[in-house]
Amino acid sequence: MALPQSLRTSVTPLELELIASEHLVEIVPLITMEKTAFISVRIEGAYGPLRPPAKCRVPLWMATNLKLKKKCHIVPPEWLSVDFLQERLTRETSRPEFSKLPFRFAEIAKVILDVASDDVQNADKIKSLLKDLREARQAKSRDGLQKLDHSELSLPNLCSMEINEIRPFFIQAMGILTQLVREPSAE
Amino acid sequence: MASTSKAISNSAHQQGQTCIAFSRDGKIAYTGGLDTLVRIWHTDQGEDQEPEAAYEADEGITAVAAAEGCWLSGGHDSDVRKYIPGKAQFNGLVTSAAGASIRCLAVDPSGKRVAVASDELSVKIIDLDEITNVVILEGGHKKRIRKTTWHPSGSILTTSSSDGTIVAWNVSDTEAKVENVIDGVIPEVVDPESPEFMHDCSAVWHPSGQYFFAASRTHEIVAISRSTWTKSSSLSDPNTIGVTTALALSANGVYLASACKQEILVWSVQTKRVLWKYPGTQNAFTIQIAFSPTENLLAWTDTEGVLSRWRDAIPAGSPDPVRQTAASSAQGTTTKRKSTPPLWGEEPDAGAEGGDPYGDDWIIDDLGDGMEDEPEGAKAIRAGDGFVKEMVSITKAQPAFQPGSTPMENKKRYLAYNMVGVIEVTDQDTHHIVNVEFHDRSTRKGYHFTDHFKYDLGSLGERGALFACPPELDHVAQVIYKPYGTWSTQGDWTYALPKGQRVLGLAAGGERPMRSLRDPSSSGGDIQGQGNIVIATSSGDLTFLSGSGMERIVLGVEGEYVTMAAAEEYVLVVHRPGATTIDGSQSLVATLISFEDFQVLQEKPLPIPKGHTLRWIGTTDEGAPAIYDSAGYIHLMIHHRRPNRAAWARLMDTNLLERKQGKDESYWPVGLSQDTFMCLILKGRQDHPGFPRPLIQELPVRLPFRNQDPVDSPIEERIARERIHVNLARDALGDELTSSDIDKREVELDKQLLKLIQASCKADKAPRVIELVKRLHFPNSIAAASQLAGFYRLIGLQEKIEAIKLWREQNATPAEEAREARQGFAYEDAPLARPKPFQNFNPPPKVDRPGLTRSTGIVEQTEFTASNLAIRAGRSRAPQAPASRSTSPEGKRKRDDNDDDLSSNAFDVEVKRRAVCESDAVVPSPKPSACIAIQPGPA
Repeated sequence: MALPQSLRTSVTPLELELIASEHLVEIVPLITMEKTAFISVRIEGAYGPLRPPAKCRVPLWMATNLKLKKKCHIVPPEWLSVDFLQERLTRETSRPEFSKLPFRFAEIAKVILDVASDDVQNADKIKSLLKDLREARQAKSRDGLQKLDHSELSLPNLCSMEINEIRPFFIQAMGILTQLVREPSAE
Repeated sequence: MASTSKAISNSAHQQGQTCIAFSRDGKIAYTGGLDTLVRIWHTDQGEDQEPEAAYEADEGITAVAAAEGCWLSGGHDSDVRKYIPGKAQFNGLVTSAAGASIRCLAVDPSGKRVAVASDELSVKIIDLDEITNVVILEGGHKKRIRKTTWHPSGSILTTSSSDGTIVAWNVSDTEAKVENVIDGVIPEVVDPESPEFMHDCSAVWHPSGQYFFAASRTHEIVAISRSTWTKSSSLSDPNTIGVTTALALSANGVYLASACKQEILVWSVQTKRVLWKYPGTQNAFTIQIAFSPTENLLAWTDTEGVLSRWRDAIPAGSPDPVRQTAASSAQGTTTKRKSTPPLWGEEPDAGAEGGDPYGDDWIIDDLGDGMEDEPEGAKAIRAGDGFVKEMVSITKAQPAFQPGSTPMENKKRYLAYNMVGVIEVTDQDTHHIVNVEFHDRSTRKGYHFTDHFKYDLGSLGERGALFACPPELDHVAQVIYKPYGTWSTQGDWTYALPKGQRVLGLAAGGERPMRSLRDPSSSGGDIQGQGNIVIATSSGDLTFLSGSGMERIVLGVEGEYVTMAAAEEYVLVVHRPGATTIDGSQSLVATLISFEDFQVLQEKPLPIPKGHTLRWIGTTDEGAPAIYDSAGYIHLMIHHRRPNRAAWARLMDTNLLERKQGKDESYWPVGLSQDTFMCLILKGRQDHPGFPRPLIQELPVRLPFRNQDPVDSPIEERIARERIHVNLARDALGDELTSSDIDKREVELDKQLLKLIQASCKADKAPRVIELVKRLHFPNSIAAASQLAGFYRLIGLQEKIEAIKLWREQNATPAEEAREARQGFAYEDAPLARPKPFQNFNPPPKVDRPGLTRSTGIVEQTEFTASNLAIRAGRSRAPQAPASRSTSPEGKRKRDDNDDDLSSNAFDVEVKRRAVCESDAVVPSPKPSACIAIQPGPA
C-alpha cells in the first residue's frame, strides 16, 4: 500500500490474506488422512477425508500447510490460468467498467503463487498478468476519484484488496465533500 | 520401407518452384521449373534418358497439365500455352492473364476444359476445343488463388486462395455459382515469395467424389465431406510432425501420398494410417506429387529441381493403386468388386482393407455400406476360389496390452498408471531409468532404479510392483517382483522363464494395506502377505505365484490372452477364445479367477460394440471389475460375487458427458470409484497421455438413462446407481444381513425415494407412488410415505400404503429375502457329489416351496422299535430338520450325509441307534410337534 502511515486506518493486506485463507481450494493429496475437524470460523469445520489420488476441497490455510510439507499438490482455481486472466485483462483495458473477478483473487493468487508456483502452469506469465491487471484496475479507481461525490460510492466488481486500498483516502475525501456540500445548503 | 526398388532421380530444373503432371495415358510426365523449361519424360525410360524440352516460355513455369489431345503449361509470363501431346511442339496460346502469374492449371475429368488460376482474383474455365468459350468465376476470392481442382464429376470446381479459404463452385450450368466457402482449413499464406506459398494447398478430390483431402493449418490432413462441407475425419501420424507440403491420391483412391519434411508418406485412405515411407531429397521439400494414372508409379518434384520417380511404390502384395476395388468405389457396386477377387487373399495388412480395428470413424461408412461391404466380398471369394483360410481374420485382432501402459514416445513411457501410482520409464539408450511413484506417499515410498534389462511390462499392485523384461541375446525373459515396505532389496525376487518363452502380461493383486507400509516397525504389512502374482506367458498359460515367489498353479488359457487386472481376491483375465468375427467384433471374454482356490467365478463375453476395441480393464474402489472400450462406454460387472450370475451394467457413456459436447477429446481411464470416473483427458487425436504427467481429472459417473425430466430423472438415476453399489456391498458381506454402513446408505436411498414419492403425490400419479413405496427399505419410510399421501389428501392411496406397510411387517424384509435368495444360489452351486454309477440312492433334489410351511413328520409312538428302527430313526429326526435348515446350509447338508450313510453303511447303525435314543430323550411327549408349536405362545 502506497499510503502514508497516517492514512493506514484499514486492515493490512496480511490480515486480508488471513481472511482469504478460509477460502476453499482443491488439492491432490499425497497422504491419507481421515476426515478431521478443525477449529474454524465455518460451521462445517471438518475437512477430508484425504484419499489419494482423489481430489479434496480444503481451506487455503490447510492447503498451504500441507504443500509446505510436500504432502499435496494445489490445483489452481479455474481463474488462475493464463487464458482467463488474459481475457480479463483485454476486457479491463477495452471497457470502462471493472471486469468481474473473484472477490479475493489477489490474496488467493498471491498465496498460491508463493507456496505452490510449481503446481501452476506458466506461473511467471500469470504473475505478470496479475500485475498488469492490478495496474489497469488501479488506473480506473484513480479515474473514479474525479467522479467522487459526497453521498454514495458504488463499487461493482471491486475486489477486497482494492477496496481496502482506496478506503482510507476515499472515506476522508467523501467526508470533506459532504462538509463542502452541506455548508452552502445551510446558508 | 516395404519397397526394395530404388527411386530414380533426375536433376530436371533449377532450384525453386517445380511442377509435374502425368499425361492421360501415364506414359509421359511433364515437369516445369523456374528455368522456363518444360521437360518431357518417358516414364518407361530410366535415369539416363535425355528429355525433350519446350523453350517457349519467357519466365518460370508454375503449372503444367495434360488434357485430351494436348498438354498445357503456364508460368510467371502469364501465358497458357498448348502443345502437341508427347512432343515439345507449340500449338498456340490458350489464354493470357494480363501480366499476372499463372498459379495453377486444372483439366477437368473429361479432358476438354481447363481451369486457369492466376494472380487475378478470378478463375477462367476455358473450353480447349473452342478457346473463345470462357466461363469466368468471379467474386469468390479476395486474395490471389493458389490452387484449383476439379470434382470427379466435373460439376464442381474447388479453388484454394492465399487467404486460407477454399471455395467450391458449382459449374454444372453456364452460370457458375459459389456453392460453399470453407474457411479455417488450409493455411493463410499471403507472400507469394515465401517458401510456404509453394506448399500444396489444393483440395484433392477422392475419385468417389464424396470428400476431398487438404493439408490443414494444424499440420494434419483433413477429409472434407462433399455433402456437409465440414471436416469428416483427419489423418495424422504421431511419428511425423510437420507441415504437409504436397498431396496426391492414387488413381483408384486407395492410397494417399503426402510429403512431409524430407519424407514421402503413403497412407491408406481407409485406415488413415501410414503404410510406407520413402526418403525424399535432402535439404529440399517436395512441392508436387503425382500418382501415374495407369501404372504403379509415384513421381514427385522438389525445390531442388529434382524429379524423383518411384516405380512399384506400392509393394507387390498390396492392393493395386490403379485398379478399381470395392474399397475405393464408394458406391460399392458388386460388379467392380468381382474384378479383384485376390484382394482379400493377398492383403497382408488385413486392417488396411478390412474393418478398422481401432474404431476411427470411417469415411466410407458415411455412405452406409462400408461395413456391409466386407461379408459380401468375403462370400464372393469363398464361392469363387476357396480362400477360406485367408479370409478368416478380416478384423484385426487386438494385441495383448497392459492396462495403463503407453508406448515409448520421446524416450519416455508409462508402464503402469493406476489408482496406486505410476511407473515411468525413461530410455537412456544403454539402459532405462524406472521411476515408481505413488499417489499416496504416506502409505508407500516412491523409488527409482536403473534397469539394464529394459523392462517392457509393469504392474503396480497394492503390495508390490511387478516388472517383466523380454528375452534378449544373453538373458531369458524374467519377472521381478519388488514388494513394498522393505527398504532393502532383500524382499525382491526374480522368476525366469525358459528359453524361447515371453511374458505377455502381468498382474499383481493383494489386499489393500490398512496402515502404512513405510513404517518398518509395523508388522501389519507382513502379516497380510505380499499379495498374489499372475503372469501370462507366450506358451498359453497363466502362472499364479504367491507374493514371496512360490509357484502355486499354472492354468491354461483357452485361446489368446489379451489383458488382465488383479484385485484383492481375484484376477480378471480377458482372452479371445476363438478368432475375431468377420463383422468387426473382437469377441473377447472376461474370466474372474479367485486367488484362493482358482475357482472361475464368472465367465462373461465383453459388451464391446462391433468395430471397437477394449481400452482398459480394472477394478473399482469397491472391488468390482470394470472395463472401458474405444466406443467410450464404461461397463461394470454387477453381481460378480454370485457365481455365474454377473451382468455388465453400462455405468457411463463418456460421449454424453457435458464437457465433451463440442470438444474433440477422449478419456484415458485410471480408476473408478462409486461416483467418480478418474481419468486423464486427452485432447484431439492423442490416444495416450504424454509427459509431464497430467493431473487426474474426476468426472461424475452417470448412468446413461434417457429420460430427460429435469427434476425426477437425476434422482432416479442416483437411486439406480446407489442400488447397484449397495447390492455390491451386500454381496461382499457373506451371510450377514446388513451392516451399519449399508443401513445408512439405504436410509439415504429412502430419503431420495421419498422425494420422488412427494413429487408423484403432487402430480397425483397413484401407480407410481405404489411402485416407489414398494421400493422403500424401512417401515419408518413407508410410514412417512403414508403421511405424505395424507398431506396431499389422497386418502385411498394412503390406505393402500398402510396395507403395504402391514404386509411388509408380516412378511420377511427385503434383506431377509435377499439372504434367502443367496442361500438358494449356494445350494444350486454346491459342488456336485460324485454319483455312483447306476446307484443313485440320494433323495430327490429339494424343491423349495417358500409359500408353504414345511410338513413335519408325525412321530409314531408305538414301541415296536426293533422292526422299523431305520424308518423311525429317520422320522424322529424330522422335527429337527426345519430348525437346522434355516440356520445354515451346512446343517442341511449334514442331514443328507446321514441319510446316505444310513442307506449304505452298516457301521452307522450304531450311530443311528444313539440318535434314536437321543431323539427319544428329547421328545418324550406324545405329540412333540404340537408341543413345539405351542411352546412359543406362553413364552
